[in-house]
Amino acid sequence: MSTGGQNGIEAKSAPGDAATLRAPSFPVSHLGFLALSIVAVFLAATMPFDGYVLNILMQAATYAIAVFGLSVVLGLCGQINLAQAAFFGFGAYAVGIGTADYHVSFWLCLALGMVVALGAGAMLGLTTLKLGGHYLAMVTISFQQIVTLVMTNAISFTHGPDGVSHIERPSILSSQQAYLAFCVAALAFVGYLVWQLPQSRLGRAMRAVRDNELAAGVAGIDVYRTKVYAFAICALLGALGGGLFAGGFAYISPDQFSFAESIIFLTMALLGGIASPIGSVIGTGFLILIPEWLRFLKSIPGLYLALYGLAVILIVLFMPDGIWGFISSIIDRFRAKPAPQAAGDLVLQPGQRGGETVLEVNGLAKHFGGLKAVDGVDIAVRRASVHALIGPNGSGKTTILNVLSGIYGATAGTIRLDGADITRAPTHIRSIAGLGRTFQNIRLFRTMTALENVVIGAERRGNELVDGSAQALEKRALAALAFVGLKGREQELITSFSYGHQRLIEIARALAANPVLLLLDEPAAGLNSSEKLELHALLKRIAAQGLTILIIDHDMTLVSEAASHITVLNFGKRIADGESVGVLNHPDVISAYLGSDD
Amino acid sequence: MDLVLQLLFTGIGIGAVYALVALGFVLIFRATNVVNFAQGEFSMVAAFLMVVFAVDLGWPYWAAFLVSLAGMAILGVIFNLGVYYPLRHRTYLPVIISTIGASILMANLTLALYGPQPQVLQGWFETQGIQLGPVFLDSQYLLIIATTCVLVAFQYWFFEHTMLGKKLQATSQDKEMASLLGIPVVGMIMLTFVYSAILGGIAGILVAPILFVSIQMGSTIALKAFAATIIGGFGDVAGAIIGGLALGIIETFGAAYVSVPYKDGFAFLMLVLFLAFRPQGIFGERVAEKA
Amino acid sequence: MTLTRRQFGAGIAAGVALETISTRSFAQGATIKIGMVVPVTGPAAESGKYALNGAKLAQDAVNKAGGVLGKPIELVVEDDLTTNPGAVLAFSKLAAQQDIVAFLGSIRSTQVHAMAPDILKTAKPVMFGGTDVALTKLGNPWLFRFRPNDSYSAKVISAYGAETLGKKKWAIIHSTDAFGSGGAKALTASLEALKITPVLDQGYPNQSQDFTPVVLAIKQSGADIIGSYFTFENDIAIFARQLRQLGVNIAWVGSPSITVATAVKLAGPALYGTYGVADFAEESSPEAKAYSKLYRDTYKVNPDNYSSWTYDAITVLSMAMNTAKSTEPEKIRQAIIATKNHKGVEGTYNFDANGDGLHGYNIVRNENGNIVFDKHIDFES
Repeated sequence: MSTGGQNGIEAKSAPGDAATLRAPSFPVSHLGFLALSIVAVFLAATMPFDGYVLNILMQAATYAIAVFGLSVVLGLCGQINLAQAAFFGFGAYAVGIGTADYHVSFWLCLALGMVVALGAGAMLGLTTLKLGGHYLAMVTISFQQIVTLVMTNAISFTHGPDGVSHIERPSILSSQQAYLAFCVAALAFVGYLVWQLPQSRLGRAMRAVRDNELAAGVAGIDVYRTKVYAFAICALLGALGGGLFAGGFAYISPDQFSFAESIIFLTMALLGGIASPIGSVIGTGFLILIPEWLRFLKSIPGLYLALYGLAVILIVLFMPDGIWGFISSIIDRFRAKPAPQAAGDLVLQPGQRGGETVLEVNGLAKHFGGLKAVDGVDIAVRRASVHALIGPNGSGKTTILNVLSGIYGATAGTIRLDGADITRAPTHIRSIAGLGRTFQNIRLFRTMTALENVVIGAERRGNELVDGSAQALEKRALAALAFVGLKGREQELITSFSYGHQRLIEIARALAANPVLLLLDEPAAGLNSSEKLELHALLKRIAAQGLTILIIDHDMTLVSEAASHITVLNFGKRIADGESVGVLNHPDVISAYLGSDD
Repeated sequence: MDLVLQLLFTGIGIGAVYALVALGFVLIFRATNVVNFAQGEFSMVAAFLMVVFAVDLGWPYWAAFLVSLAGMAILGVIFNLGVYYPLRHRTYLPVIISTIGASILMANLTLALYGPQPQVLQGWFETQGIQLGPVFLDSQYLLIIATTCVLVAFQYWFFEHTMLGKKLQATSQDKEMASLLGIPVVGMIMLTFVYSAILGGIAGILVAPILFVSIQMGSTIALKAFAATIIGGFGDVAGAIIGGLALGIIETFGAAYVSVPYKDGFAFLMLVLFLAFRPQGIFGERVAEKA
Repeated sequence: MTLTRRQFGAGIAAGVALETISTRSFAQGATIKIGMVVPVTGPAAESGKYALNGAKLAQDAVNKAGGVLGKPIELVVEDDLTTNPGAVLAFSKLAAQQDIVAFLGSIRSTQVHAMAPDILKTAKPVMFGGTDVALTKLGNPWLFRFRPNDSYSAKVISAYGAETLGKKKWAIIHSTDAFGSGGAKALTASLEALKITPVLDQGYPNQSQDFTPVVLAIKQSGADIIGSYFTFENDIAIFARQLRQLGVNIAWVGSPSITVATAVKLAGPALYGTYGVADFAEESSPEAKAYSKLYRDTYKVNPDNYSSWTYDAITVLSMAMNTAKSTEPEKIRQAIIATKNHKGVEGTYNFDANGDGLHGYNIVRNENGNIVFDKHIDFES
């Protein structure tokens, strides 16, 4: 994407995410949810519905469960899945074939279908290792098509296009109404879990991946595994919905699980608002009801599906966060801002496993085709020092940082952090080993609050200063924000901060993780002079706590004041290395910066 | 051997259809980094326009052809203004969804306006084809193969050797930079949509005599063409052609020697294999994201 | 003026002089409602239109003749979107209306399968046109078929091809959907009863863009006759054209889709000289002739089996209600089952206990684009 867009879905303010981490208010809303669910189940069980309404409700309830799955993979994790109908079909066929042909218990079939879908979903997730965006969309479409072909053609097993009839369901749920009540209960239960997911560690990781994959990796999140989990959960919920659907309608056939249905699932998720299970329910309800309401347009074939297509475009254009996103943004406007929370002091306690040298880089090279961006560079960063890496534009500084943090693989050479060899380790493993970094062009999780961003930093595995409880994480994040001077603005969304403050939040995120080594990629770039002074002071405060820093910057005042040791690069090679003052007066360095006379 | 030759011809003919539609995909992708899921519907709409002008109104074939393509140009403008332009600053996902919406809208609006009956559209030639030894060469497929070659050559020349083409390329690579250089980016993108609608239209009008004119005609081809685009490496003209031809041939031989019912599966299986082992396609290069 | 707007419209459409209807006096506001599940949108929207046409003609005829139990009948239409869930919802929406006494189901077997559980619960008669043999053997007493089922089409195809045309080397070409694979299975079985093993049994997926491999397989098999079950008209037309292009000119007896007006129009000369089984053939009986004239006068297109079965279904249903003198489901059911020797436009209805009304097919021939009646073959039920 050329417009600087990240992988994943944009969301100006992800609704449902907003309530994150306001822990004390939870019992009220949770009790409310429970009460609402009980009322819904009770109504489903007792209202005298006719067959038509029952069918509609049954369809809506089972579809909504599958749409929850999409709200996880698409809404939370920002990955597209155009095969949800196939997963829905897995559940439905497991229940269908299992109960009708093999007379296995409904529950066992349902579980089996979910397990199969889970496996298939995880497999689909595995392809995300290499692919994103359109490619992923295409893989899921292919998967969908192949599943449909098998359902249609493996006649001896699936009954082919005839479909499976006489699907059974548990005898205690034999009445339509009892079964509907059960589906609504399942919907409520799954809805609760999906509602709570964004506030969990996994949910936060998914949102981080959605907002900024690179930053997520650098913050210690296993991006790849997070995506696989998201796909697996999505598939699991799809199969659950499908299994319940099969039990409800007693007949299934391949055309109910086609690509067109996947599109409908996707539209349902989008219409309601992908970031919230409430949105999923609203979207599903609408898209099942709208064609029903519009049946009066039947005199002209195609007209109402045309309107449906038009509605999809209009929603995307004018209601990007869906119906629920639209409503909740209005509600949010009237919601009182939470009071600022008290923050303690930030403690940085970098571990002391290795020796005197925290980072040891030997013969590091990175070649892009014929271009030798970095060519045999050695760097040794001493513990508790501030080490600067400087060089003119194109000298390979940022490339080195990217190789150090695992965004690029090294062509040759070794990297040892705190005694451990991390040359081949993936990004998040380096983070776990104690590497923290910031980016020249700030990479924050833009749909989250400042506090949430920093919490993600704090929950780095390997951070021994927090025990992983929500309170401990929050406490540490608050302390880190206070440390960089942003006390009182914890609950604001990233987008409401100035550029300079966003940079501070990024540093706070790295600090909250309690890293062994902090890489700062041009922290002064784009800052005004007073912000630069603040940055100087901050660096001093960090250094005073004994944290080792490797800094890249153009600002010579900053570098010469802050750094005790400087490495100079030019054309991918090290041209000078040593104590600051000596290096800055080195003739090669001067000619590299000012140009030589020859 | 006769069998193989006949299959080969058919495979190339079908592959050329995929390639033609794939060209439209590639074009829009190069200009906007967006995959247009409504590309197939361009073909369908053009074929229906032909039926209206050439069959219902009885105009001469060439006049109907030109007017239909003019209609496609207008559709391209409307499509750009309504479906892409308002979303140009957002990520790919909303755009994908909006083009999916547009595809549903176009298909069903055509259904509402014209009714569900499949229609017959005569081909350019009176004769059905040429018997060349044991192989029958369908005249319409010959025309499609020829048109594809011409359009590919044109597109190559256009992008590599004309100023307009280069401006279009610059626009696709870096919109900000292009506009700094004084290239009217908005106009360039508009032009891309117009050309790609016309391209889709030509494909639709050419296959109509073979597949007949129906509401569903576009979507089936488009899905395969899309697969071809990926196999060839997204955004690569030569790749789309090779991908399309490869797909057509594999599908035809797969149907003949492996299984007819699973025919459509070959395309998707090939696609998955490509995506798993060579996601950059035959020609494409992987571009790593910059930190 | 006691006419509803719908009847008024239908009356105009039917080209019936207005006064002929208005001279009848029906009870104010009271109608006998018949629900109808029809594809108005989706891929089968076209056939849905024809189905509605046929039903409306029958409605007008019944009402002109005094209606049912002194009341006019009224059609209540729901769109099934050409999907199975759509059919289920459409049916359950109709079923929720207590005053609907009976229903017209779908011509698509999978949809009838999908609706079957709801039909059983609703416990009211449903007339349908799906030809899957199994449908009347589900143990569902409320299903009544108004077209001959696939076992008969297969029997007629094999009998005509093997006995009348004397061909023994059969290639069976069929869609892999429910209709196609079911038909192919029945055809294989009835050929085996004639001691013939097909030389080729080839399925294809619906909406195929190319049939070259299929045609070449036929060529290689050395078949001298094709028996086919095609679902969609464009598929049959593409296949027919490629068959001729590649020089295959052997005999061909196809399932009803080969005789449908759209297929005949799309394929043009490629289908000349082929045979098809048709539940409806214009020349097969005086009733069919009269119906064809009325249909053509009203809608300006040729009638086909999409409309004829709904016409017969409404007619037989109305008769049954008049005979039973009741709209009680069980009584209607008994009366339909008891219908014998009714000469409908599709053929002679002799309902058996399963709910199958027809037990034979017409064989028709495509003569330069005109569908010509050849002979009628009936079997004992």
